[in-house]
Amino acid sequence: MYLDAVSRPVEVDDGVLAASTAEVPRVFERWAEWPPSEISHHGKICCEMAREWLNATDFTALNGGDLFTGPRWIRHRFKWGPSAFPIYWCEAVRKKRLDCGALAALSHEVIGARGIKSFRAQFVQKFTAAATEQWSCTWSRADVPVSWVNDDLIYHEGVAVLLEGQHIKVWDSSAGWWVDRARAEGYGSVVAIRVFAPEELGELIWGERNLIPNRWHSSETE
Amino acid sequence: MGKDLTIYVSGLYSGSNPQPGVGIARSLRQGFPDAEIVGVEYSNRCSGIHWPDFDRIWLQRPWEELSLDAHAGEVRRVLDEGGYWISSIDLEIMWLAEVFADGHHHNLLTPPLAALQRVGKPAIPAHKGLPVKIPVFIGTDRSDWDLHAFCREHNWKVWLKGPYYEAVRTPTWSDLQHWRYVLSKAWNTEKLFLQSHVTGYEESVMLCAYQGEIVESVYMRKRDLTDLGKTWAGDSAPVPDELLRPLRKIIRDLDWSGGAEFEMVRDAGGQLWLLELNPRFPAWVHGATITGKNLPAALVEAASDIRAAPAPAMSEEFTRVVLEIPVKAEFPLPPLPEPFGGGIGHSMKHPSGLIEFAQSLEKPLAALNGNGNGNGNGSNGKPNGNGHSRPGPEIQVPESYLDDLETVDVDALQTPARLFFEKTAASYFRNAAELAAGLSRPGLEVRNAYSIKTNPDERLIRLALEHNFFAEAISLLEAKKAVDTGFRPDQVILNGPAKWWRRETVPDARFYSVFCDSVEELERVGREIKEGALQTEILGVRLRTPGVPSRFGVPIDSPDNFQRLINALRQMPKNTGFGIHFHMASSSVGVRGWWHLFESMLRWCGSVQALSGRVVEVLDIGGGWFPDDIAKEDARSFRKAIDKVPEFLAGAHQMITEPGKALAQPSMALAMQILEIRRSKGKPSEVVVDGSIAELPMYFFHPHRILAREDGVWRACGRGDAVLLGRLCMEHDIVASNVDLPKSTREGDLLVFCDAGAYDRSMSYVFGCG
Repeated sequence: MYLDAVSRPVEVDDGVLAASTAEVPRVFERWAEWPPSEISHHGKICCEMAREWLNATDFTALNGGDLFTGPRWIRHRFKWGPSAFPIYWCEAVRKKRLDCGALAALSHEVIGARGIKSFRAQFVQKFTAAATEQWSCTWSRADVPVSWVNDDLIYHEGVAVLLEGQHIKVWDSSAGWWVDRARAEGYGSVVAIRVFAPEELGELIWGERNLIPNRWHSSETE
Repeated sequence: MGKDLTIYVSGLYSGSNPQPGVGIARSLRQGFPDAEIVGVEYSNRCSGIHWPDFDRIWLQRPWEELSLDAHAGEVRRVLDEGGYWISSIDLEIMWLAEVFADGHHHNLLTPPLAALQRVGKPAIPAHKGLPVKIPVFIGTDRSDWDLHAFCREHNWKVWLKGPYYEAVRTPTWSDLQHWRYVLSKAWNTEKLFLQSHVTGYEESVMLCAYQGEIVESVYMRKRDLTDLGKTWAGDSAPVPDELLRPLRKIIRDLDWSGGAEFEMVRDAGGQLWLLELNPRFPAWVHGATITGKNLPAALVEAASDIRAAPAPAMSEEFTRVVLEIPVKAEFPLPPLPEPFGGGIGHSMKHPSGLIEFAQSLEKPLAALNGNGNGNGNGSNGKPNGNGHSRPGPEIQVPESYLDDLETVDVDALQTPARLFFEKTAASYFRNAAELAAGLSRPGLEVRNAYSIKTNPDERLIRLALEHNFFAEAISLLEAKKAVDTGFRPDQVILNGPAKWWRRETVPDARFYSVFCDSVEELERVGREIKEGALQTEILGVRLRTPGVPSRFGVPIDSPDNFQRLINALRQMPKNTGFGIHFHMASSSVGVRGWWHLFESMLRWCGSVQALSGRVVEVLDIGGGWFPDDIAKEDARSFRKAIDKVPEFLAGAHQMITEPGKALAQPSMALAMQILEIRRSKGKPSEVVVDGSIAELPMYFFHPHRILAREDGVWRACGRGDAVLLGRLCMEHDIVASNVDLPKSTREGDLLVFCDAGAYDRSMSYVFGCG
């Protein structure tokens, strides 16, 4: 994962950000102030065409299924791998590989186009040193920074989809599955999560967990 | 614990689709370390007999050899002696329920007969009160016509299911015919059913109950599956209260004893769909024990009042591995059966002879699985299907077919002969015209086009003209035929990849519209229009339907292809209107699938319009509708679709529909004469006719209703045993299977195959005629 050089400032309440970073627990320390990745727009038809193509393709790929179906076709079309930022819409849709931030941005776009409320989500996931060394190697070879890796932890991005009431489910656009909300330890577990949502929405409910919008949550904070 | 306890556990098959016996034994051993666990099996090929938790194995002969009365006596004896019996075999459970129908034995830890009668699939009547729906289904004892309609309605995403086990996807009509034959033969019954597929994640509730009270329960989500969709890994959790509360009532009402599994699918919207209620523990039963929920032990504890050892949770999740274990000396491995001559593999299925058991029990067990007629809950939550309870399929034939047939001097026919149903054809064209007029609204005209390729018969083209259709041609020869029949060129739509073939026949006049099949064609036609070499009121493109394999139209499946199309449209001549065409056969992709495709295409058209700067004035949608589908439910889907058009294409003033197949198919029939009747057991079994698949090439794609004359009256043939063999010396020339011919049928009689007026006519060929 890498920060978008042209990303918008993250719209979070200063107080919340201060509170969440005042005594930063280790697990998300390195990424505490990272905003979610964004895909940039040239402000021209080239990028608009790419977005239109993406959204029309998504609706077709639904194949008559429920609007809450995860857009797995995106991961099927684009392999997960290093992406250099900034990346523009007209480039992103033509790439063979995209990183988790770009994949999450595409997923967020299409879910929104279906008329479903969704929010960008950030995770910290735990893997093993063997896994993270491999990824560091791959990203370095592609000449893309590997600041998303820290020992056996990684920074990752996805999309939180609003269901009924305050309930959400979280889409891992790089894996093509819904994140298992019950598992908070072990290989691949989500050890911290932050959902970027309007404050006025109040607490979001993810399985057994309540999440305050725009704030990192981990076992250390709960 | 459980020193004086003897528990019989049956169903030890441990192949890729395992029975739960071994898992039950492992769990019982955990709960009752000192109990005697007796494995009951009906084949020494079932590897579970070697599992070390069994103290002894009670090996019976395979079901097909077994004296059921003697076996029933033995089971009764062990129960009377204080043993407990947990069965893992659905058929054995049903059989035992019959054996103990007069009074359920308190040591028999399986459900009683009355309970089983209420949990039969697919309707599962006992599910009322649970927050679940039942996927829509239909019994295969309904007519072929109804079954085809069911498959279309559900986009051919349907499962053909056996009465007890087995489910096969049947994505086409020929698949369905094939598997219906195979399963009917195997299970010796016509009582199969088709059920619509539900996309989602599989979840289960497992519970155990004793004399109507739930003792223990667990919720499991499948986390990994085998190729057959069986659980390979899962996680467990307590059963949510909204399920457990109604479950307690249901189990009490059923007076349930034994294990049970509610197999469900959760769709993307969160709705639960109940697929099956198994009257036993599932094969993953020990997975739950690992997570701290030992249901077999809890069941025995409830029945025996002997306390089971607590089950410590080792994890919240479980998974499987493949284990090799020693073979017990007293049960050496049997030899492999000889492969059939030149055959592949050893045909190892069902070593205990369950299929034969089912066949022998077909009559007594029929009452338990008698829910084959259409039912279930549709997505709207209302009962779907027709829900009729009738003995056999009833074939409905439109009255107009019979009226038209009355006008034919059938005795003067030289068969095979194609019959034109004049009244029928006229009524279908008239209805289509009225439908289009009724669907039109201010600013958006709906108009039909007749696709000449569907059936180029002049009588049909003339009907199209009389009812204000456009003529849709895929070649200039077809366009010429339309003009020769009375259409003006400006009533002709040109479509298809080779519409300029025989260019010398192009009329020196303006077409109504030309839909280009490629960017190359669009550029070429655009140039010719600019140069004055061609004239058309509307110039457009056919879009290739993304996500559905097709060779036609301009691809838009990649950003580059999409951009190329947009760039080409920006260069289009300005003095023509712009239109978009798409076509996908509704009868192939299914009715719901087709309407989704329509909505999807509206979005694509909206994008094309916005990016190219060309207003989409005409939207031409084809077609391939089955006659019964187009105006179904007062054309509700059609109306809804048209309501959506202005939302995406504000500038569209015309929508053209192409109901070619829907109109042509009913308009003709094919008369054949019976040449020879071959009998088996006194009944017609193979009947040779003088027609063939050369005149009926759509036989493989949709059913045809067959009329036979009995006492001078034409009647539709129901489902029976006769196979109608075509006249060709070709193995696959079978024009109909499972036909019930009148008893009086004799050689020389005529059979009339209806619904043969579309591609059966236009794609027929001359074969075997010298």
